[in-house]
Amino acid sequence: MAEKKEFRYFTIADVEREQEYLRWQHRRGWRFTGVTGIGTYHFESCEPEEVVYQLDYSPSRKANFSEYVQMYRDCGWEYLQDFAGFSYFCKPVSQMESPEEIFCDDDSRREMIGAVIRHRLPVLVISVAFPLCYLLLFLLPQLIQGYSPALTYAAVTMTIVLIPLWVVIIVTFSRLWKYWRSLQDDRWE
Amino acid sequence: MTETGFYILLGMRQEAHGYSIIRQVEALTQGEIRLSPGTMYGSLSKMERDGLIRFVREEEKRKLYQITPLGEQVLELEMKRIRRLYQNMQEVCENG
Repeated sequence: MAEKKEFRYFTIADVEREQEYLRWQHRRGWRFTGVTGIGTYHFESCEPEEVVYQLDYSPSRKANFSEYVQMYRDCGWEYLQDFAGFSYFCKPVSQMESPEEIFCDDDSRREMIGAVIRHRLPVLVISVAFPLCYLLLFLLPQLIQGYSPALTYAAVTMTIVLIPLWVVIIVTFSRLWKYWRSLQDDRWE
Repeated sequence: MTETGFYILLGMRQEAHGYSIIRQVEALTQGEIRLSPGTMYGSLSKMERDGLIRFVREEEKRKLYQITPLGEQVLELEMKRIRRLYQNMQEVCENG
């Protein structure tokens, strides 16, 4: 049985794209066997098939994990693995009478996106606010007081390294926020 | 109240687990409504936290719950609302 690895980077706002990517691989005859590291996806060759892949954000469900997985198993979903707080499930289309997803209403979709935002917000604060405060409150005043090549080098390096990171994090959270709001706006009541 | 929440309260007037409610709703609606596991699991956790249902026992990795007095009150109110909605709809359609 052939195996392959592919590197793909999906942010937490790209859940639907990641699900589609795994389904597309299975359609081409590559069954997903796991994800490791920053985004190394492992596959093994198989018969091409339409299989729906779904991700659930579930770190708080660890306490009742066997019961949680059993609920999915009863509904025909195979549990694959946990990665970065997300649980991966799949179900062949041949076992579905109509299109199925692991969530059947916008309330539960909002609940999941809300949990992702709540749990990952500290990451946003630490990775954006702390270095920014360090730059503005420590490095910049020192540079204003007197030119120092070492300090200038530190400030420039820090800014160059951090700006792309900040952009990715801020864009990811704003997309998540927009998605969360769109689920709310769809409601009629 | 969501559709899933309503069916949970309706089905848990007797001891039941999440999957049995999914099956029950499927049979009731001739397969038209199929509740999903993620939605069901989240709703059960939330309703237990809100005191609408209570955990009774575990059976083969499945938690059995039953409605609480508070859950019964909420269900009764929701049933009244739906009955009124249905009656109003009938009245408007018959007269219109």
